[in-house]
Amino acid sequence: MATYQREVIEFPYCEEVSKYEKIIKIGQGTFGEVFKARHQKTRKIVALKKVLMENEKEGFPITALREIKILQLLRHENVVTLLEICRTKASAYNRYKGSIYLVFEFCEHDLAGLLSNSNVQFSLGEIKEALKQLLNGLYYIHQNKVLHRDMKTANILLTKDGRLKLADFGLARAFSFPKPGQPNRYTNRVVTLWYRPPELLLGERNYTQAIDVWGAGCIMAEMWTRSPIMQGNTEQHQLTLITHLCGSITPEVWQDVDQLELYQSLELPKGQKRKVKDRLKSYVKDQYALDLIDKLLGLDPKTRTSTDEALNHDFFWEDPMPCSLTRMLSQHTQSMYEYLAPRRRIQQNHPPSHPAPPPPRQNAATSKLGLNTASFEKTY
Amino acid sequence: MSIEDSHQTACGHQKKLTFCCSYQTRFICYTQKMAVAGPSATSSGLQDKLTKSFIPTIKRLHFKVVQYMMEACIKLQLDSTTSASACTIYHRFFSRCQAQDYDPYLIGATAIYLATKVEEQFCKLRDIINVCYRILHPNEKPLEIGKLYWDLRDSMVHCELFLIRTLGFNPRASDLPHKYLVHYLKSLQSWIDRDTWNTVPLCDLAWGFLRDSYHVDLCLRTKPQHLAIACIYFSMEVYCVQVPYNDVAKIPWWKVFCEDIKLVRIEAIISELIDMYDMETKFKPSIAASNSRTKGKLTSS
Repeated sequence: MATYQREVIEFPYCEEVSKYEKIIKIGQGTFGEVFKARHQKTRKIVALKKVLMENEKEGFPITALREIKILQLLRHENVVTLLEICRTKASAYNRYKGSIYLVFEFCEHDLAGLLSNSNVQFSLGEIKEALKQLLNGLYYIHQNKVLHRDMKTANILLTKDGRLKLADFGLARAFSFPKPGQPNRYTNRVVTLWYRPPELLLGERNYTQAIDVWGAGCIMAEMWTRSPIMQGNTEQHQLTLITHLCGSITPEVWQDVDQLELYQSLELPKGQKRKVKDRLKSYVKDQYALDLIDKLLGLDPKTRTSTDEALNHDFFWEDPMPCSLTRMLSQHTQSMYEYLAPRRRIQQNHPPSHPAPPPPRQNAATSKLGLNTASFEKTY
Repeated sequence: MSIEDSHQTACGHQKKLTFCCSYQTRFICYTQKMAVAGPSATSSGLQDKLTKSFIPTIKRLHFKVVQYMMEACIKLQLDSTTSASACTIYHRFFSRCQAQDYDPYLIGATAIYLATKVEEQFCKLRDIINVCYRILHPNEKPLEIGKLYWDLRDSMVHCELFLIRTLGFNPRASDLPHKYLVHYLKSLQSWIDRDTWNTVPLCDLAWGFLRDSYHVDLCLRTKPQHLAIACIYFSMEVYCVQVPYNDVAKIPWWKVFCEDIKLVRIEAIISELIDMYDMETKFKPSIAASNSRTKGKLTSS
């Protein structure tokens, strides 16, 4: 082993990011920054995601390595495509630490941005199409033994020709089915609080694909409510909100829930009835839709519906059938992103993987909401 | 983990034992290899090689570095798959870069670090540095936290990024042969009669061959399925075990597992393995000398 002089290292294996010119910043999170950019020569529009390497004590971030590995593995029309990986030159300006950029195909909108804009209206057929594509994408990644672990509307992208894509695999990881007597021990500090399933909140570390299905359920309801259906401040608060919607968490409805680490230490309201359909019926008029949401938001991850079962649900096979999103999206020439939508900026401060601290209740912000974006929680 | 702790890990008796065992496997393979390759044409070619030609210096160097990497992996208690992954990364790097331009011991240590991330068997950078340093400097005091330690750490972090870039951000380009080996052996278990299976350590030997194969860059030139089959074939030859009715079967057992493998290819892989074991015996005494040479390298930087 020897120590190297920094200057000698030249990297012939990776192109420079300067071949793209940045146009505008379109995202910001714990993962880093995302830019819309244009190729200098071909004029092709792409999205650049910078890999944060500030905390380089343990070298190249394992999360970035996972994201790259997973994206190189996954090729599907409903999963965002990684085009290449670029670098910046190491110079005195960045303390001889060049940055790495992931170059993605560009998508015009994200679902959070679309839903926060009251001018964007989805018909039932269009909602079905979006959800079908979402579940198709999830089915594909789960088939490839990958957990997304950060399902939320801001991570669902839409191209202007109506293609929905799962994005941000910064928290994703490969999983294996646990062997008998050898439970998996994955971190439960994943998924944005509002989309986090009850088993994670109760400290489960041996979780399955069902955690992404819960997120899909939250997103599905949000297609009608237009804002996240359960906006908890803390894990405890989130669990209380879940209980109010899905009924009390007891070993009767969820076998072996009392074995979970935090089952005793967290306060779980008793005697609550499950009222998913009841509370959503003023938003969601379609009976099949209500039934599917109810199944996606199943408390017990073992009996929660799978992506495969969900895709076979009558919701997708009864009139109106799923119809293309192209016509609706063609009316909106302006890109819509959560990051660029002013009223939802505050949510960005909410760390995706960090359970605490939560965002303060945004009373000022919620009062500015349009009629159809009124907070779901407030209605009750 | 304090310095004392890691020091103990590095030379703990138990681990040392495991380490010896892995080499014992190799020893067995070596002594029995003549019986295997006896009359075949490859063997006479091999004899020529042993006496006349000399093994290229580069190949020898990589062999030595992999030996050091394997030792480090065992002392770090990493899985076989992780150390195989580390060796693959190492060989891939040097299939693209010239050995004289880089310090292979640093590349080796960094390859281990990268492999622990790729294979999700995370290991602290500090432990890797301590263990590697200890192997390279067996007669010196354990590495203290100080300038040298931080310089080494800095180098590893830079080198890691460099490795990732050199490998096109794809540190695991293909499957490892291990899972194929396990599956194939599992299928063979129900074919071979139980007594033989229980008395002959066929699996251990095949696993040992596979692990040792990483001393050369076979993994880059061989499909993982082929490597797994060759290791099984080789160990069955060593113990004179046969798959029942294979000689009258329409499709030989290896073709059942992997359609596109030919017996010639299996023999070629085995012959490379034998060459590798010969290389080991040929310059075993020089390993100690190599240690003192690298020592000069480290302190000068």
